[in-house]
Amino acid sequence: MKILNVYRTAPTADVKKLVEIVSEGREASSFDLNVDAPDYDKLVDMVLAADKTICWW
Amino acid sequence: MSKKVCFMLVHPDYTLDGLRSCLGLAVENMYSYAVVMNQTLAPLDDYNKENIDWIRDMEGEVYSTVPANCENEGLEPITLEELGQKLRDMDVIVPYGMMP
Amino acid sequence: MAKSLGIFVTSAKNMKHIMGVTKAAKAKGCKVKIFFTWQGTRLAKTAEFPELCKIADDVSICADSYKKCGFDAADIPQGLTDKEMATQAQHGGIIEDYDCYMTL
Repeated sequence: MKILNVYRTAPTADVKKLVEIVSEGREASSFDLNVDAPDYDKLVDMVLAADKTICWW
Repeated sequence: MSKKVCFMLVHPDYTLDGLRSCLGLAVENMYSYAVVMNQTLAPLDDYNKENIDWIRDMEGEVYSTVPANCENEGLEPITLEELGQKLRDMDVIVPYGMMP
Repeated sequence: MAKSLGIFVTSAKNMKHIMGVTKAAKAKGCKVKIFFTWQGTRLAKTAEFPELCKIADDVSICADSYKKCGFDAADIPQGLTDKEMATQAQHGGIIEDYDCYMTL
């Protein structure tokens, strides 16, 4: 299963822990929305390629 | 097959409405769960207690990682580790609202 | 065949991301549905919202949340019709009927 973790803000320690558990043994990638100019084209490609997307706070 | 959805509620201003959204999916025949994290709830009024009861009636559950919420409001205890394992089994994961 | 994307909006902070993702997804031929709830309904009053309604295939807001945020339910945001002043069932529709899911 391909998991995409999207971060709307910098991940807290709790979020990092949950991501670690949810992603274990799975193909995981991440995308940081917390930048000045996110590459939305790339983000959508990643979302479409993933089996599940989690948009963390 | 019914989808499994888990709402994670971390912000006091968003938590009660997140429970309402959780109930909204339960009535759509989904297995709908919520987890209250990082906050101690103010005493719940009857409306919100009923929302939690409805979620449970429809085979969902409302958990909390904060022991005070379990003692005061009867939420089901869950650790961060257990939550992570539970999330692995979810079809949809909803980090609701924003961080405080 | 292009996939479909549903976006569940629960925060009033992310209009830039919603616009960016929706434009990018539409450019790839995706069908896009967006449902705004709770504080997210405040975004229905932003200058970009009418444009979003034109770009996306399906936009609706939680009428109950909109009222709780202090708006008059009769004051339908530009770009929506009264049928799109909706309920949490729209969120259920996204989960059941759309290939991809995002929360913003």
